[in-house]
Amino acid sequence: MTETNIYDDSLVYPEQLEKRPPCQANCPIGTDIRGWVGLIAQRKKLGYTRNEAYLRAWEHLTEFNPFPATTGRVCPHPCTVECNRTEKDGPIAVNALERFLGDWAIKKELPTPKLESDTKHESIGVIGAGPAGLSFAYQMARRNYQVIVYEKASEPGGMLRYGIPGYRLPKDTLHAEIQRIVDLGVEIKLNATVGESVSVDQIRSRHDVLFLGIGAQLSRQLGVPGEDGGGCWTGTDYLSCVNRGQPADLGQRVAVVGGGNTAIDAARAARRSGADVTVLYRRTRDEMPAIGSEVDDAMAEDVRFEFLVAPIRIERRDESIRSVVIQRMELGPPDTSGRRSPRPIEGSEAEIPFDSVIVAISQVPDWQHLGGLNPSGDRLKTTQSGQVANTLWAGGDTLNPGIAGLAIAQGRKAALDVHARLRGLPQPEDGDGSATPVARVKPDYYEHQDPLAVPSRAVGTWLSEPDREIHQTISERAFLEETSRCLSCGRCFGCEHCWTYCNPGGFTRLEEVQPGTYFSLSIEMCEGCRKCVEVCPCGFLSVQPQPV
Amino acid sequence: MPRPSASIEDRLAVGLSERFDPVALENGSRVGVIGGGPAGSFFSLFLLKMAETIGLDVDIDIYEPRHFVHKGPAGCNHCGGIVSEFLVQLLAAEGFRLPPEVVQRGIDSYMLHMDVGTVRIDTPLQEKRIAAVYRGNGPRDAGPAPTHVVGFDRHLQDLAVSRGAKIRRQLVNQVSWEEDRPHVQCSTGPSEVYDLVAVAAGINSNVLQPIEGLEFGYRIPEAARTFICEFHLGEATIREHLGTSMHLFLLDIPHLECAAIIPKGDFVTLCLLGDKIDDSLVTTFLDAPEVRACFPKAMVPRTVCHCFPRINVKAAVRPFTDRIVLIGDSGVARLYKDGIGSAYRTAKAAARTAVFHGISDEAFAKHYWPTCRQIDVDNSIGRFMFTVSHVIQKTRPTRRALFRMTATEQTRTGNRRHMSSVLWDLFTGSAPYREILLRTFRPAFVARLGWNLVAGNVAPGSLASANGQPTNGDANGH
Repeated sequence: MTETNIYDDSLVYPEQLEKRPPCQANCPIGTDIRGWVGLIAQRKKLGYTRNEAYLRAWEHLTEFNPFPATTGRVCPHPCTVECNRTEKDGPIAVNALERFLGDWAIKKELPTPKLESDTKHESIGVIGAGPAGLSFAYQMARRNYQVIVYEKASEPGGMLRYGIPGYRLPKDTLHAEIQRIVDLGVEIKLNATVGESVSVDQIRSRHDVLFLGIGAQLSRQLGVPGEDGGGCWTGTDYLSCVNRGQPADLGQRVAVVGGGNTAIDAARAARRSGADVTVLYRRTRDEMPAIGSEVDDAMAEDVRFEFLVAPIRIERRDESIRSVVIQRMELGPPDTSGRRSPRPIEGSEAEIPFDSVIVAISQVPDWQHLGGLNPSGDRLKTTQSGQVANTLWAGGDTLNPGIAGLAIAQGRKAALDVHARLRGLPQPEDGDGSATPVARVKPDYYEHQDPLAVPSRAVGTWLSEPDREIHQTISERAFLEETSRCLSCGRCFGCEHCWTYCNPGGFTRLEEVQPGTYFSLSIEMCEGCRKCVEVCPCGFLSVQPQPV
Repeated sequence: MPRPSASIEDRLAVGLSERFDPVALENGSRVGVIGGGPAGSFFSLFLLKMAETIGLDVDIDIYEPRHFVHKGPAGCNHCGGIVSEFLVQLLAAEGFRLPPEVVQRGIDSYMLHMDVGTVRIDTPLQEKRIAAVYRGNGPRDAGPAPTHVVGFDRHLQDLAVSRGAKIRRQLVNQVSWEEDRPHVQCSTGPSEVYDLVAVAAGINSNVLQPIEGLEFGYRIPEAARTFICEFHLGEATIREHLGTSMHLFLLDIPHLECAAIIPKGDFVTLCLLGDKIDDSLVTTFLDAPEVRACFPKAMVPRTVCHCFPRINVKAAVRPFTDRIVLIGDSGVARLYKDGIGSAYRTAKAAARTAVFHGISDEAFAKHYWPTCRQIDVDNSIGRFMFTVSHVIQKTRPTRRALFRMTATEQTRTGNRRHMSSVLWDLFTGSAPYREILLRTFRPAFVARLGWNLVAGNVAPGSLASANGQPTNGDANGH
């Protein structure tokens, strides 16, 4: 007799193994997008009513992010970059889904539930009511800690409130989502500048743990002659002025220097004041860090773009700005950020007339009143979860300027770390869901479904109604259709392929199904043909190298 | 033939014996076909073609989640992949010639391997050829992928689509009966209502369960476990060792009814049929010297792909009711051989009934069931013949007789090839079992077999000049 293992391909047995989908892997917050979308998409199989499914999805989503209506509007949704549906018929419009669900919850005035009922005796202080600080405060309050947030401005929200114009994020929406955090018992002290109205020492003695979410309020300057004086703004100052409803006289011709989201927001806000706006950027469109669709929208509003130029001098007549002298640039080899670095072209100077200049090149934290917390004034050094010192954590732009989603993520991470340490719990794992990335999804097993078209106002009305939101929330019908496009990469969604095609009947339909769990597998029935693995569309079934 | 859309006058004009069936397809009728294998595609093709001849316009949705373009079991429909000469001819006559990228190898002969020797049997008529095809897109990746492979099932599916059928890549998980119409429900999306549902889901899936659950009397066919695997040998090695022959084995292995090795492109398919195929039987078979001798250096290579598909061994009970008909393996299929051929026959009979006679329970009973019953009856004969062949396999003198008779026939041209044609048809499924059996009753056949029974066992050495190569049976025997 030969060896019993005559067919070596039979050494392969299937296993049900949940894997990490690309959307979750690419979301800075690690939101289980597949999970909450699946609760709605699979509601019938799970036996949920529509409202029940929405509610469960909402509660699952807010485990990660207390601002879905907000991020659904402003987040550049890196979650969709590697969506496995992309090549088939377009990625899932996660942001539009998130926005719908966020708006639904606001309309329903849903409170976010507390996770723990026992009141904790530790007192938690947060400096800065931006996305990082509020995310931290939210996660702590849900775990029943007493939280006080100190905010120097007159309204909470940080850059979400003062940096993002109303046509992208209505104030009401942000307010409603912050109010929900307040309703959890978080106290937000407004107009409270730490280091001025209340001292750093006072705060340290009052709270057991401090979280720093002061953002990056100081704009870096260009460092060119003529920059000091009237007519020269920083991007954050200008946007803050606009968002407070204060007048800001820019004149007719406005230059915006920079290529990030602040630059684009400032340019579009300035365009709404009736000015002719030109964005000056020293690299090309490809290297622009701003959200692509925002740049498109800016172009649709006739914001002009000058690429590969750098201002070298601002010319003034008397006190006011007369022009900006620029130098043409060319792209050299990649720099540390991986982007090709610009090099000046000798003798390419040109003078362009402008009445004002908005500089939005980058921002750093303002340590002016908080010297006690960061004596060196250097960039803070933290652990993975944002711990700076024994009782001090930090997150958001304070650490490194990034998108709101990153700030929310850092606030959450810090909160989970603080909670685990205070309660003596095991350290939370890095990221959520299983660690194995999903390897093989088979999009051709799914029916073609056209991607969602997000409704928008007609371009012609964008400037005439400057504060009204441009992009609209999708309809409920579109929402349901779009959720059904999710491939559920790496997690069973009950498609029944394995059950249908398993000859020996190795799969059994579960009496009580749960999200991600629809069938049980009896490996002792397995004939090792691997058909189930190969017909599993989402990659939930995979091969295990050795028989059990 | 009464047209379903005919006026009352026209209907009255029809002879009294031809009663108009009120349950019939009409213009705009919707037909759902569950399963896009050969039965489903044949049914769609015939239905569209026949409907066209009487000016009837119907819509067909074929539900088939698999594409038959993936390699390995996922894209496959699990069978040896032999299209019988009967079917090759029929298809050509219908205008469906099998293109070269579908035919992996034309089979012109088979080699019958027994412990007493090996005999080659050429196709009875020189121009006739059997086609060896892949039901999917070939075995899962092993070495360089063969180019220009189109699976048989995909080929038929594309034909059905080109004639107007619509493929829905969805898995059906429920068929229900509401307001006098069958409803088809998939795991996603709303349910669809049809005027007629043809179930062509084979027997290797659980799709039949909800049909049985409809309680109109249908019972899923009884099935037996078979074994199919693929070896990668490469084109040159296959040409040298296996040629363009299908290799059949008559070995004394309990529970093994039939074993075949079929060369295709760069791979060979091994097919074991019987009533109890398990790992130990497979191992015993692959260890047999007659089997090993077919491979280079008498070594059986490792498999690249294998499965244990089910085949029908007992027909379905009542594979029809009002507006629902079950065809192919889901209904009645030929025993062991030529399942594609019986899919063709039942699909055509069902389509003919639906277009020309109606879609009621009565219409199917009268015009569709006879075709099924014919196959079923023939299978009983086939079962008897396989039992006889088993006896031959078990008894060394009869093996010698069979070997001698066949080998002698093959050496002589012009002679009547009694045993060769019987074996050919038995193992390729090229003729109904009944017809084959009748041939064995002919006096000439009986006389020849009697003579060979004597001659083969008295002087086995006399075969040296024959086409067969006797082996030293005593050394390799039991």
